[in-house]
Amino acid sequence: MPVNINRRRFAQAGLASTSAIALGSRSHRPSAAQDATPGSITIPDSGVELPADDITFRWIDSGDLKALFYNEFHAAYQEAHPNISIEYDALPWAEINQIVPIGVQSGDAHDIFAMPQDIPSAQAVAEGWVAPLDDIIPNFAEWKDRFPLGSFMDGVHVFDGKTYTFPQTSSKRYWTMTFYNTDYLEQAGYDLESERLTWDQYREAARKITEQGQGQYYGVVFGGQSTDRFATFVRNLGRMAGAPAGGSLGFEDIDWRTGEFQYTSDEYLAAIDLLVGLQADGSIFPGSLSLNDAEAWSQFPQGIAGMILEGPWVIPQWQRENPDFRFGLASQPVPNGETVLPLAYEETGSNQLWVYADSPYKNVAGDMFSYVGSVEGQVAIMAATKGFLRALVPEAAEIAQESVELDPYASEALALYDEQLRLGPMVPVRNPAASQVALERRPLTPDLGQLVQGILAGQIEDVGAALEDLQSRANAELDRAIAAAQESGAEVSRDDFVFANWDPTQEYTAEMYE
Amino acid sequence: MSIGTIQPTTVLAGKGQPERGRTLRQRLWAARWCYLFMLPNLVLAAMFTFYPTVMSWYFAFLDWSGFTSDREWVGLENFRELLSDRFFWDAYQRSFMFMLIAVPIQVVLALVVALILNDSSYKLGPFFRTIFFLPVVTSAAIIGIVMTFVFSPFNGPVNKMLLNTDMVDRPVDFLGDPDTALWTVAGVWIWKWFGISMIYWLAALQVVPQDLYEAARLDGANRWSLHKDITLPMVYPFAAVIVLITIVGSLNVFGLVQTMTGGGPFFASEVMEVYIYRNAFGDSGIPRLGYASAAALFFGITVLGISLLQGWGLKKANDARTQMKQT
Repeated sequence: MPVNINRRRFAQAGLASTSAIALGSRSHRPSAAQDATPGSITIPDSGVELPADDITFRWIDSGDLKALFYNEFHAAYQEAHPNISIEYDALPWAEINQIVPIGVQSGDAHDIFAMPQDIPSAQAVAEGWVAPLDDIIPNFAEWKDRFPLGSFMDGVHVFDGKTYTFPQTSSKRYWTMTFYNTDYLEQAGYDLESERLTWDQYREAARKITEQGQGQYYGVVFGGQSTDRFATFVRNLGRMAGAPAGGSLGFEDIDWRTGEFQYTSDEYLAAIDLLVGLQADGSIFPGSLSLNDAEAWSQFPQGIAGMILEGPWVIPQWQRENPDFRFGLASQPVPNGETVLPLAYEETGSNQLWVYADSPYKNVAGDMFSYVGSVEGQVAIMAATKGFLRALVPEAAEIAQESVELDPYASEALALYDEQLRLGPMVPVRNPAASQVALERRPLTPDLGQLVQGILAGQIEDVGAALEDLQSRANAELDRAIAAAQESGAEVSRDDFVFANWDPTQEYTAEMYE
Repeated sequence: MSIGTIQPTTVLAGKGQPERGRTLRQRLWAARWCYLFMLPNLVLAAMFTFYPTVMSWYFAFLDWSGFTSDREWVGLENFRELLSDRFFWDAYQRSFMFMLIAVPIQVVLALVVALILNDSSYKLGPFFRTIFFLPVVTSAAIIGIVMTFVFSPFNGPVNKMLLNTDMVDRPVDFLGDPDTALWTVAGVWIWKWFGISMIYWLAALQVVPQDLYEAARLDGANRWSLHKDITLPMVYPFAAVIVLITIVGSLNVFGLVQTMTGGGPFFASEVMEVYIYRNAFGDSGIPRLGYASAAALFFGITVLGISLLQGWGLKKANDARTQMKQT
């Protein structure tokens, strides 16, 4: 049931939950996450027998924030073990999605890799791509016990009783925080440090900024060629405005209480209307439809627009490459009405890595993971990323908060996550066999993001009909994928996608699955 | 023998002996060096061209993601699904539209420039040849990325020029507008590959004997008559080959489209290669290598059909010309 919160109370609650550090950090002076002290990591002897010969250990993941830690960690590891040379490929997901499967098929995959986005973990395990950690991390049971209850989930990290990956950091974060150009917003008469923009104010602010920009800059910019950005905009704004939904196994926008998709909800439609309104006002940076996401956010510090909705990964790069850029970070635009819901997230952990089953150096991987999952390693993650990545091991999080200097922006972001995100249900946690559905899933074409792009490009005029069609196709595809999974022997049904006891305002705890 | 045809076995192995009367084995042995030199290329072509091509024919009949061991033979199911996929037909149509518009422009433009640069009295010819050829040797992906800035509605030089000359009153989003995205890419494609067609034409123009021009000039022919009555008839046989090569090139535009528009907005510039890529690797959801292979096979057969039709048409035209000459 939606909770009704007075807008002022909501803002107060937000401020109250924001830590003192965050409040004290409103000056928005750029700080440097990249300045994490090198040499601060000491690699302990885990007791693992490591190769004596010179070897090259290969590692591939998507870089971003975690690269801040891994660059430091790898340097320390090589210093501790001079015969081990680490080749770290921090690449975009599109490349990981291609390189890893080809590497596995040719028997030459990286020793540690990030799982390609389109490949369900269960399938990778079933195909024998990855090695269980139980056998390669020393004192595994003790190591695993450090993580809080519920960190290791069947169908996510654990398969047939073996643990194949671990949540290195929390996935509790969202991708539509408002990043703003402080100068432009101030000039337009807005102070986002003391007030949150409602949808209407967001549109009005964008219009004013565009007006004051006189063609030199605009209200908002989107990386609209990456259509998932539009989808995230619509779903996060729509969900917070009263159309609660979550996603699992690749199917997004499901109201867990009923198992129905939310595409035709008034709130989703209203979020699309907001985008159309921004466009009608001329407030969207021209060319937003042909920019991809990375192009949009990397050009933002050049002053092309007043606001962009993004995730925390933009901050370190802006700080590093545009140290004089004055920017702020705030909540995504909040609904005009009084119904404000938190967003549901899946705690699958973020930044999971997997050990290649045929790697000759699995013991090296075990030694490395032994450190990454230790209290020291988890503290080092928060230290190297200045808090942009949050430790999952509670003891480490406590130590880090007391002893590590967190980036002010990271503190603000963490406070926003605590306030605006709630753990949602996860289908494979209740029924691991349901993972087969992800394997059978075919893309919805056009999907939500592509439809929004078509609407903004003027190719789709009847928005309501397009969303009805999407709803119908999503239902049909979920039914088809479930039927196909059943044919493959999986015991799964549409009922697995219903969690009648879900309250979007509360955390969905382990007991609630029973 | 037609002009320019090389017969290596005769040249290298013939040593004056007649081909007739020698066994296949003898001829193969005599030409052993040719085959030896061809071997590395053949091995590479077998590994990276023939094998993937043949395997994709097989994949076209599978329901397979491309990364699991679970491959299901589905017969013609992928093709049946293709026929009812409007995005497939849209991409299919777009590819041919691209070809129909871009190829004639490129071929004719390249011929005109080649005629100008072929004039030995034009001293800057070599310089311009190099300039026009430069984009050919530049990576398509790099050009695509640079062109997104060139055509950007925000401070892009093209829009600046249009605005400064009052040709438009607000910036044009060339790559974000469904009406202009594909044709902007086509323009860039013509610019990038125009140099190679120009080189082909220049090579073809070398076969025209200079004494014919001199004789015609003595007869009082002007520049237009020289080209109409001597140049064009002489280079006519090369036109079919140049057009065919350009057609094949116009169907290989993945790098430019992917970097400039990604096939958007809302599929407005999605040509067949991008469609195949999207289904095989790029879209959200499990990749469908089998389905993508079916689309590639279907499209490949169409292109083969066009090539054969073109070859048949050329042969008919040549036969008709020969017959006319004889009569």
